[in-house]
Amino acid sequence: MRRSLVLGLLGCMALAACGRSAAPAAAGASPAPPAIAYEAHIAAGGIAPVGGVLENPHAGDAAVAKAGEQLFSAMNCDGCHNLGGSGWVGPSLADGRWRYGGADAEVFASIYYGRPKGMPAFGGVLGADGVWTLVTYIRSLPLPSDVPTESWEQP
Amino acid sequence: MARTSVLTLFICFGAASAAAVTASPAGRADAASEDGGWTMPAKNYAATRYSGLTQINAQNARSLHPVWTFSTGVLAGHEGQPLVVGETMYVVTPWPNVLYAFDLRKEGFPLRWKYRPDVSSNALGVACCDAVNRGAFYLDGRIVYNLLDGHTVAVDARSGKELWKTAIADMGNGETVTMAPVVIRDRVIVGASGGEFGIYGWLKGLDLKTGQIVWTGHNMGPDADMLARPDTFKPPYDGGVDVGAKSWAGESWKTGGAPVWGWISYDPELDLIYYGTGNAAPYDPEARAGDNKWSASVLARRPGTGELLWAYQFTPHDNWDYDATGAMVLADLTIAGKPVKALVHFDKNGFAYTLDRATGKLLVAAPFAPVTWAKSVDLASARPVIEPGKQTGVSKGKVTGVCPSLEGAVSPASPPAYSPRTHLFYTSTNNLCMDYGAAHASHLRATPYIGVDFAYHPGPGGNLGAFIAWDAASGRKAWEDKESYPSWSGALVTAGDVVFYGTLDGWFKAVDAHSGQMLSKFKVGSGVVGNPIAYRGPDGKEYVAIYAGIGGDWALLAGDTRSDDPTDVREPAEFMKDIARHTSQGGIVWIFGL
Repeated sequence: MRRSLVLGLLGCMALAACGRSAAPAAAGASPAPPAIAYEAHIAAGGIAPVGGVLENPHAGDAAVAKAGEQLFSAMNCDGCHNLGGSGWVGPSLADGRWRYGGADAEVFASIYYGRPKGMPAFGGVLGADGVWTLVTYIRSLPLPSDVPTESWEQP
Repeated sequence: MARTSVLTLFICFGAASAAAVTASPAGRADAASEDGGWTMPAKNYAATRYSGLTQINAQNARSLHPVWTFSTGVLAGHEGQPLVVGETMYVVTPWPNVLYAFDLRKEGFPLRWKYRPDVSSNALGVACCDAVNRGAFYLDGRIVYNLLDGHTVAVDARSGKELWKTAIADMGNGETVTMAPVVIRDRVIVGASGGEFGIYGWLKGLDLKTGQIVWTGHNMGPDADMLARPDTFKPPYDGGVDVGAKSWAGESWKTGGAPVWGWISYDPELDLIYYGTGNAAPYDPEARAGDNKWSASVLARRPGTGELLWAYQFTPHDNWDYDATGAMVLADLTIAGKPVKALVHFDKNGFAYTLDRATGKLLVAAPFAPVTWAKSVDLASARPVIEPGKQTGVSKGKVTGVCPSLEGAVSPASPPAYSPRTHLFYTSTNNLCMDYGAAHASHLRATPYIGVDFAYHPGPGGNLGAFIAWDAASGRKAWEDKESYPSWSGALVTAGDVVFYGTLDGWFKAVDAHSGQMLSKFKVGSGVVGNPIAYRGPDGKEYVAIYAGIGGDWALLAGDTRSDDPTDVREPAEFMKDIARHTSQGGIVWIFGL
């Protein structure tokens, strides 16, 4: 189940690479279920719903992260999230805090399908591998230590 | 009631229908003709933001105090201004663009109704800078305004019922709508934002009764798209067939931006509307060789048909994101002893321009803030004398010390005021410079088409802003009040010779129109990016209203004034480290009285 979903998305990435429109999980006779990751929501009854689980095929790959940095500009991500993902009209991606979850699969879902309040869906234009490349870059950003206090008083 | 107030307005502006014109539209000084209302974004078609009310004056303004407040429940930047029509105040919020109607006759000004349109949240990712709205227009019993997701609505001013709703802009192509419409006779004039999304900028005329789109005139492209006819389109300096397409490399005009997100003024005698266009897209000028007409320009059209009569470009081949969407104020001035029907414009590029509004000919151009990108504007050619070292482009790398910054020497969202009593213009200004590194941008529909790495620095003197009085006949500053932060509010001037404006750190100020001397100030709970209005209440007393609610530009504000999202916590801006010490988000309507 898990494996076939990843394969399905990789197949879809291959289609995108050939310049054809990429429908999610287009490969295979039985399409995989939507790869919606369930965010770090509270689960009623303490039972998390079952959903597709995605694995980043490039997790931790520095060369892919580098390619992702270029893609971050080429896809105009920086136009909303600023260079380095530090945030502009779109939220910061570099503060270690996540509106829709910061796990690989959650970031993948945000980019692939888009999110309410303005995040466009990039899965169609990028395909799964392109999105994973961006995920790999975003996850490589150095995280500052979380400092919830901003003070203007002299210590 | 509606009919009466329309008649009153026409008397007040010294204007009449195009068929029977009697006088100039520029604001008159006589308080007798002042109806006490505020039914258009800029008070009148001339866009002077001048009220003939006199109760509040330089002698008694010290006793101004708040008499009423109302939280709009919305956090985005509260640009724009309320309207007062008879005994009702109308307030439009940023997205989700709620329209409130307050009953000014009753204690506490309770709502008569509120209108909550269905506005797509997708617009929040297509609007470049913040989910702002610059206000509504009242005419003939209708309140007309724009929704961020690309619609214009007309609402019955009495009942709050929706009369029509028209899709005017396409978010899928990067278009959103933030500007305030102007209604002239039976035409609603609207435009779209999207200079950061590579739109094919336009202005549209809708039918007031039905909302149907009657004409669309593009701001660039072939003459046919621009509604420019060779026999009637007479730009004073740059002629030629299809100049709106030929002044762009290849087909770059098709994604060249030139949005319309500012203000529209109107001269009923000439039957011309005037509006400014925004930056050329993308921010890398090497991607679009040529003048890029008519981005960063003022265009003059017939409201009924949209026909283009003349155009003048303030910043040819924009290298620095110098939108010209700021207000075009119409005033009758005396220049070198001669009466002139003038159009006055404070541009992001740092020059204040005085034009002949019948022809578009340039009369005066002088810097009102520090300028390094050009040495001057040559009056003969009407073109800027460019400083070569400040030209940008991918091949040039990081260009340092460009003044003004891409925030502009004044934000087009902060319209000036003009007093026919003092003959002075009053405007907010910014004192910011920048380093600008153009980068390649790829056009991908509904995503940003920008391409720049920039950093801001305080301009000379260190104060980040100022509020100034300007003599547009001579091109000279009359006085200046320095501000610690970029000054981002509109201006209001009254026949009491008091000028009102707000500051980014949340002060609402009244100053003497002759001297700039402070008369009163009050901390209004959030930074001010809106525009003050004056009106006479049902009790016969004069009041001044203003929005508080910082926002409007998250490139400027860095985001540390936001506290609404625990998952988005940002560092302060390098050049402005302590604005969040003084203010945070929050939309509030304030009314002040004596």
